[in-house]
Amino acid sequence: MSGHQNPARLIVPPATPGAAAALTRRGVIAGLAGVAAGATVCRGRAAWAQTPVGLQLSWLHSVQFAGSYIALRNGWWRDAGLEVSLLQGGPNAPVEPPVVAGNALVGISAADYAAAAVAQGAPFRIIGVAMQKNPFVIASLPDNPIDTPADLPGKRIGMAVANTPVLQALCRLNDVDFAAIRIVPTQYSAQPLMAGEVDGLLCWETDLPVAMAMRGIAARTMLMADHGYALHSQTYIATTDSLTNRRKDLVALMAGEGRGWNAYRADTDAAADLTVEMFPDAGLDPATQRLQAERQVPLMFSGLTDAHGFGWWTDEGVQENIRTLSLLGRTVTPDLWDRSILEDVHAG
Amino acid sequence: MTTLVRRAGPAVLLLAMWQLAAAVAAGQFVLAGPMAVLAWLADNPGLITRALSVTLTNAAWGFLAGNLAAVLIAVAGMLWPRALGLLTGLALVVFCLPLVATGPILRVMMGPGNGPQITLAALAVYYTTLIPLLAGLRAAPSVWFDLVASYGRGRLAALVHVRARASLPYLLAGLQIAAPAAFLGAMVGEFTGAERGLGVLTIRFTRDLDVPALWSVAIVAAGVSIAAYLAVGALGRRFRLERPPVILAPPRLSRGSAASRIGSATVLVLAVLALWWGGTEALHLNPFFARRPPDLLAALTSAPDAAATRQALLQAAAQTAALVLPGYLAGLALGAALAVLLFLAPVLSGLVTPLAIALRSVPIVTTAPLVVLLLGRGAPGTIALVALMVFFPTFVACQHGLGQAPGQILDILRGYAAGPLKQLVHVRIPAMLPAFFASARMGVPAAILAATVAEWLATGRGLGNLMVLSASVSDYTMLWLTVVLVTMASALCYGGVAWIERRVLRVFAPEQVDR
Repeated sequence: MSGHQNPARLIVPPATPGAAAALTRRGVIAGLAGVAAGATVCRGRAAWAQTPVGLQLSWLHSVQFAGSYIALRNGWWRDAGLEVSLLQGGPNAPVEPPVVAGNALVGISAADYAAAAVAQGAPFRIIGVAMQKNPFVIASLPDNPIDTPADLPGKRIGMAVANTPVLQALCRLNDVDFAAIRIVPTQYSAQPLMAGEVDGLLCWETDLPVAMAMRGIAARTMLMADHGYALHSQTYIATTDSLTNRRKDLVALMAGEGRGWNAYRADTDAAADLTVEMFPDAGLDPATQRLQAERQVPLMFSGLTDAHGFGWWTDEGVQENIRTLSLLGRTVTPDLWDRSILEDVHAG
Repeated sequence: MTTLVRRAGPAVLLLAMWQLAAAVAAGQFVLAGPMAVLAWLADNPGLITRALSVTLTNAAWGFLAGNLAAVLIAVAGMLWPRALGLLTGLALVVFCLPLVATGPILRVMMGPGNGPQITLAALAVYYTTLIPLLAGLRAAPSVWFDLVASYGRGRLAALVHVRARASLPYLLAGLQIAAPAAFLGAMVGEFTGAERGLGVLTIRFTRDLDVPALWSVAIVAAGVSIAAYLAVGALGRRFRLERPPVILAPPRLSRGSAASRIGSATVLVLAVLALWWGGTEALHLNPFFARRPPDLLAALTSAPDAAATRQALLQAAAQTAALVLPGYLAGLALGAALAVLLFLAPVLSGLVTPLAIALRSVPIVTTAPLVVLLLGRGAPGTIALVALMVFFPTFVACQHGLGQAPGQILDILRGYAAGPLKQLVHVRIPAMLPAFFASARMGVPAAILAATVAEWLATGRGLGNLMVLSASVSDYTMLWLTVVLVTMASALCYGGVAWIERRVLRVFAPEQVDR
């Protein structure tokens, strides 16, 4: 890896005590772009055969998965005996099938998609939750703002029709008349909002509003998670078969993820820069990636993850998710979530 | 000086129109002008060059593989005429498979790398080459075949000495359409999770709302497609030195009875089912996403929600049909009319031809928002996109067809001082008909594909939306049902066009019918 020749770039430990403790347990904080040779992390000296492991991402390479890039670049997975390939997603890329087929050990999905796949017979369990808060927002312009669900009636909301149940669920949760909202089917782009074709957009906090900010327009965003829409996103899924037969690999993979994301949180700018550096052909804009990296942090980290570690969830959290899923027409049981891998990760 | 003005004039005019359109659309975030595109390209030469080389390489391999497959199928069909129906039937079925569904399945089967991009590029071209090639292989006077037969030689000799030569202009027409199609196919293939390429950049820039970057990618893609189109065209002119001969063939009655037609259709359906079922089993595709025929039959008949499934399918199909039909007819009419117009007024060719290629070559993902802005999110926008997809191959085919008018007959008309209009009506349009119908048949799957893509990207209705929605919630049964429905509808409509074609060509080009 070319990063080995780069000067050391140490990460400042995070201020929050819990996360700091977690990092102390790991002993060392390694550099993002590679620590100078001779640093504490040993690399490239794996005495045993590396196990090839696929991690299926849910979208194109971007800072959305920067924690994985940090783990990969620093050799944290290799040191644990894993040779991880990060499989890119895309608008027409399969996420769940490679995990079922075994091409990927772990996939990055969301609780609703995982529940849907389980209903179709996929033997999935959620083994980690990267996005504690669901990233869905209603984005609007400052002169015609949508700040609470009560502002929605009478507005034209642009969204992929597939996401209609999401808005319906939000309305149910907040006693808002869904019929009074005009749904406009749009491409997933900020263009209809900026051109005035719609009053609001159903999108992620971390993509279209960031794109608008880079064009000089400070969009208002109403985070649906702040209005009762509890739904784990960017969840790690694995098959029950892997949970039985490949526990060691799963634990090593998730340990690297946790370590990578904690390093990410400590310096999001460095994480964004690493992302741009690792994928020079992805057309990534450094400023956009830095802003997106910053906006992801409050969705991924909370008092809960500070106390228990990256990716954690509670039984109450699961119950809230089950309630939201039932509004989306999905019946699931708490069995969908399996915390045993994370328990091993954070115990060791 | 005047030739310079004549040569550069249309290009300058196009650039000026484009810049003007960009100025009008400013603030809408849909169109960047030539100046903005140039500035972006100057700032990012490395990025765009690397992406272009990746996509171009994949497209070139796909172009090669797809056209080679087309030639092999055509040759096999000419040597074993009995197999021709089954071969072209299977080729049609594969061509009708919607990209939205095949892309992800190819990705699961082939893993990371360039496999799906190359395969989709090949799938995008092989059929549009096969059909003109088959027409060309028949486009020879029957006396030539009689001559071959009188020497006691067989099909192989006829193929080598007569058919191959006769087919060249048609093959080149196919290759010309194939060149931009391969490029688009490779770009769409990148949507399934490729690491790099112009398609990847398109997705990125769409989401980032980086309009100058998006249009730079689109312009580079269109530029390459136009260059490839012109290069094949230039190659074609080298083979067109001889004037096309008069093709006389006795009108034949339809050889196949209704019973034998049904018989061959049944064989085709059985072959498809065998390949589908056998293929999924042989490749050990997981039943979670690779559904088998009995799964679908059960979902439609015995499953508890079978009635709801049937209704969802039919409703989506009706929505799509309402868009496909007008768009398809408009595209055909436009393509043929434009080819005729350019024949009557060749001066316009320099302006219209590049615009036509550009319109077809700019990726639909980029143009969709622009069309939506101009025509709204309702039916007109989608119909326009469908028409755009159908129009271009029709236009190219008709242009080639007009050029196939037999020289001797034109000489006679000229001898009687018949003007261009008379020549057009009496000679050139009849000569154009085989090419027109070939493109009309090919246009059926293309129109359905365009409609489903537009539904996916812009309108959120119909079969296109149902496919994407089913895939996102892992409802692969519904996804496969839509694939079967789309494929069957494409194949049936194709058959319908072929039925009309046989009746028309029996009068104007009997050599094309039932041989």
